[in-house]
Amino acid sequence: MKLSTMWKDALGSLLRRPATEKYPFVRLRAPEQLRSQLHWDLEACTGCGLCAKDCPADAIEIITLDRKAKRFVFHYAIDRCTFCAQCVVSCRQGCLKMSNDEWELASLTKEPLRVYYGEDADVETVLAGAPEPDAEPAPGD
Amino acid sequence: MQSKIDKFTIPIGPQHPALKEPGHFEFSVDGEIVTDASVRLGYVHRGIEKGTEGRNWVQSLYLLERICGICSHVHATAYCLGVEKLAGVEVPPRAQAIRVLVAELERVHSHMLWLGVAAHEAGFDTLFMYSWRDRETVMNLLEGITGNRVNYSANVLGGVKCDISAEQDEAIRQGVDFLEERTRHYLEVVTSDMMFLRRTRGVATTPKAQARELGLIGPTGRASGISHDVRVDAPYAAYDIYPVKLITATAGDLEARFIVRINELFESYRVIRQILDTLPEGELTVRMPRRIKEGETVSRVEAPRGELFYFIKSNGTDTPERIKVRTPTLPNMASVLVLAIGHQLADIPMILTGIDPCFSCNDRMVVVKDSGGDNRAMTWEALRQYGIEYYR
Repeated sequence: MKLSTMWKDALGSLLRRPATEKYPFVRLRAPEQLRSQLHWDLEACTGCGLCAKDCPADAIEIITLDRKAKRFVFHYAIDRCTFCAQCVVSCRQGCLKMSNDEWELASLTKEPLRVYYGEDADVETVLAGAPEPDAEPAPGD
Repeated sequence: MQSKIDKFTIPIGPQHPALKEPGHFEFSVDGEIVTDASVRLGYVHRGIEKGTEGRNWVQSLYLLERICGICSHVHATAYCLGVEKLAGVEVPPRAQAIRVLVAELERVHSHMLWLGVAAHEAGFDTLFMYSWRDRETVMNLLEGITGNRVNYSANVLGGVKCDISAEQDEAIRQGVDFLEERTRHYLEVVTSDMMFLRRTRGVATTPKAQARELGLIGPTGRASGISHDVRVDAPYAAYDIYPVKLITATAGDLEARFIVRINELFESYRVIRQILDTLPEGELTVRMPRRIKEGETVSRVEAPRGELFYFIKSNGTDTPERIKVRTPTLPNMASVLVLAIGHQLADIPMILTGIDPCFSCNDRMVVVKDSGGDNRAMTWEALRQYGIEYYR
């Protein structure tokens, strides 16, 4: 039986630097495996839609403008994404990849969280018909 | 007029009843001594079991993983093992070994978390702070291996997503060496600190017979001498290749629960090293069918808190027909009510923490079939109506 068993830890800490990190002033390098924002490669995609089908969070939508001409727009809702990387596993063409460095994704508005990948002209076509992400919801919604 | 108060009831919760999770307790006290206790759970019922019925097999994995934030990997493992058994798929040995590796790292993080929480409830915040500082080591390892600190998503149906590289192997060995040294120190602290022992030794003592009667499982039961561990009794994944030694104690008090959990940490470190030494080469996944053959199965794994049970039923489609989950907190919860009686009110947070409760895990809906005309059985519609009337 001892009276105090942790005084050595406590005193030793006086001489050590704090265990906490100084984020956001010092930004740690994320590990290689970290799952953050999803990226999509139009060239490899066949538009099969398996990624959207398996997404547990309903964060992916593949908008097909013209299947034969491979005109797809990949709509990715970051605010819905749970970063599980199931889509990356499900994709048989290997056209999805999660970056390990884009993890500071918090936002006060929804606009930066709605990502559209694809040819610029196709994205514009899709965006023309898409609702404004930060609009006030209509009464009754 | 003189009124006679023969019973004074102290309600605790649902907000912040010792832990940061909701549960409502009512303790009747005579002075400082608890004479009666009752509990009401269900504040974090999320309908996850029902939710799986509207999702495909792959999507359900991620929903079930979110039953618990601390032991998410064991939920995913239990589900994957069950579904793979139904589909008749053989998962590669490397994937099974990685599943066990992540599960043991998760056990380390869960036990370290519990050590800190229990120390905090005892008022020993120094131990709480230092054990949580050291826990960051295993959190970083898990993040390095799987890509996330919680909800690792290491599993996929038919294997695992993450591999162990040479650098990770080295990082895990270093981390485990550091943690082992610290754990040895914490074992000494919890078994020799005079002030701390006043809060744990002889508190909530559960003899083996009573533990069996209460149905205690996991480390809580093992501290009372109940020799039951799914990893030992019915080895799953790669536990037949990497056997685990059963850790038990006989005292059955809170101190014994500390000793059992801390000794389990040493066992986890040994298994982690053994896996790294003999990690089999090979594939990480096998192809899974999208539709699972009709049938039903049971899957059991040892979560950090005890036995985790999954019942999975498939009707041959790409969606589960029924999934039933039993998490280890619920069987242990009854012991809190029994053991609280006769103790001081100040011991209650420690007794509650002693079972390592996870409230979100255990909140589930039970439907009682009205077989004998029991008027307490209600249909869903009648229950809903009752709720509306009650709160009107």
